[in-house]
Amino acid sequence: MRVLLVEDDQTLGEAVRDHVASTHHAVDWMQTIDDATGSARVVEYGLILLDLRLPDGSGIDFLKALRSKSDATPVIILTAHDQISDRIEGLNAGADDYLVKPFNLDELTARMLAVTRRHSGSSSSVISIGKLRINIADRSIYSGKQEIILSGREWAVLDKLLSRTGAIISKSQIEEALYAFGWEVESNTVEVYISRLRKKLGREHVSTIRGVGYKLEGRV
Amino acid sequence: MKHRSMTRRLIFSLTATLILFWLLATTAGIFVMQDEFGEIFDGSLQATTERLTPLVVDDLLQNAQLPESRRLQNLNESTHKGYLTYQVRDATGKVILHSHDVSATPFVAPLKRGFFQDDISRFYTVSAANNTIFVQVADSMAHRTEAAVEGGLALLLPVLVLIPASIIGIWLIVRRSIEPVNDLRQAISDKDSGNLAAIELQTLPRELQPIMLSVNRLLERLRSALTAEREFTANSAHELRTPLAGALAQTQMLKSELRAPTSNSRVTQIESSLQKLIKLVEKLMQLARAEARIGTSNETADLGNVLELVIEDFRRASEAGNKILYARAEAATLHRPVSEDAFAIVLRNLIENALIHGDPNTPVRIDLTRHGTIHIVNDGPVLNSNELKSIRQRFSRGKTTSPGSGLGLPIATELASQMGATLELKSPATNATAGFEAILRFS
Repeated sequence: MRVLLVEDDQTLGEAVRDHVASTHHAVDWMQTIDDATGSARVVEYGLILLDLRLPDGSGIDFLKALRSKSDATPVIILTAHDQISDRIEGLNAGADDYLVKPFNLDELTARMLAVTRRHSGSSSSVISIGKLRINIADRSIYSGKQEIILSGREWAVLDKLLSRTGAIISKSQIEEALYAFGWEVESNTVEVYISRLRKKLGREHVSTIRGVGYKLEGRV
Repeated sequence: MKHRSMTRRLIFSLTATLILFWLLATTAGIFVMQDEFGEIFDGSLQATTERLTPLVVDDLLQNAQLPESRRLQNLNESTHKGYLTYQVRDATGKVILHSHDVSATPFVAPLKRGFFQDDISRFYTVSAANNTIFVQVADSMAHRTEAAVEGGLALLLPVLVLIPASIIGIWLIVRRSIEPVNDLRQAISDKDSGNLAAIELQTLPRELQPIMLSVNRLLERLRSALTAEREFTANSAHELRTPLAGALAQTQMLKSELRAPTSNSRVTQIESSLQKLIKLVEKLMQLARAEARIGTSNETADLGNVLELVIEDFRRASEAGNKILYARAEAATLHRPVSEDAFAIVLRNLIENALIHGDPNTPVRIDLTRHGTIHIVNDGPVLNSNELKSIRQRFSRGKTTSPGSGLGLPIATELASQMGATLELKSPATNATAGFEAILRFS
């Protein structure tokens, strides 16, 4: 998943960026509303982590602008404002969750998972597809009793497919997910990783729709 | 100190002054009237004597050989008691003629023209026939006194009747006049930290306008000071939390990257100290807010909704939060003009207190009753009355060994009081032999 982190504090921003990246998500870290608005305009994010007090404005205004454009990207507010009235204002503006600083990084991970799960309509962090049991929380996949190990890039592609299970994901959307990690993406990179996923997960689970894209099949 | 009533003082002073002036005026009137009466009576006495004298002299000259004094009879027998009596005396003082209602004993008045007065009568003497005949007419002093008393009473009686009427009149006038003062007093007494709006009384008289303006200026300054204090505490919280969040997040990242157990253990200790520091800062910020009197608000808040948000926070934030059993009575509502932030701080402290100090293996019960009372109950050892009292003191942690700042209950107590609520602490809990119960009751 590609995450937009909007946080102006250098120390906290770095730590959150590194932590989120360590959980196999691509992170774009912006320190101003202007930069965040520009990024959100051109990139489709899976989640936005949003500070409220930023040098060039309020995160609430950014959130309201996002929602006014019918952008339903899940947003978790990260703020030092602990008052319940701030929280109510944030939720009313369209936030999906609200985390008060200082927070534990594990709690942030749990909230991110809960919000994305809620957003994708899934009530559990474990997704079963045929024999496969994919645990998004601890990044583990089992086929029966055998664990399947995926690389970071393979997880990035799978995340993208899992974000809309059963729906077609275009090649360019998958390329974008890979770009987010700063990796080199060549013309056949997507096909290479799709091929690896098929080999590891089972050919029947990832199908190709010629000229359109790819989709994850067989969700139970 | 007993404060005097301005209304009572005004009524008493005005009435006393009015009565005093009336009495002075009446007394002066009586004296003037007595003096005027004296002049009238004297004039009448003199005129009577002078008109009587030629008649008497003529009569005496026609009956010059009378041996003894004569007493003149009335034409008609009458019971009328005359106020004027007279005697006609010769130069030796012998009474030669007198009116029917006096004896032949000569008057005490000397045989000398003019007025004379003793305790009983006032006399006027006229001489005739070359000072050989003296006519003396006497006017009873009792008659004069009676006239003066009756005249005085005629002035005094209406005054006595008017005194109670004037007291009622003054009371009504004072009450009506003092009404704007009462309005202003009420408007000022309605002000508290949650209502510092300027006083707007259009009907206030000119004399009270400066007071209203001064009070409004003070309210404005107070409002600014409180707002600045509240903003300062909120900003301080923000400014403190962000670096703490950075430090904690970097420490946790470092911990996840370190492989050596010794180093990892040291980082864990740093993380633990940071967590304690964060909790202490949090409590000190809450205390600062409580002292900035954030409890009240002009707007009515749905506190039932806030209660549920806070419970949801606890449930999501920690495993311990899942111990909370929440029950909201059917049709229970809790809408009050209090700050929802202050209410949330009170709840957080009470729930945190129950989770930290309660039995870890039994649930924490939170009930919102139909009347809007909140009960937070946890299991645990019984606290005696001294302990219940002392845990409301700052930095008093009772006999517990559980982690805590010793500030949660004092903060909750202070904010509850600002919100117009009472925080009752009970141990054992209601209908139980052990445990602790906090009851937050709104008036």
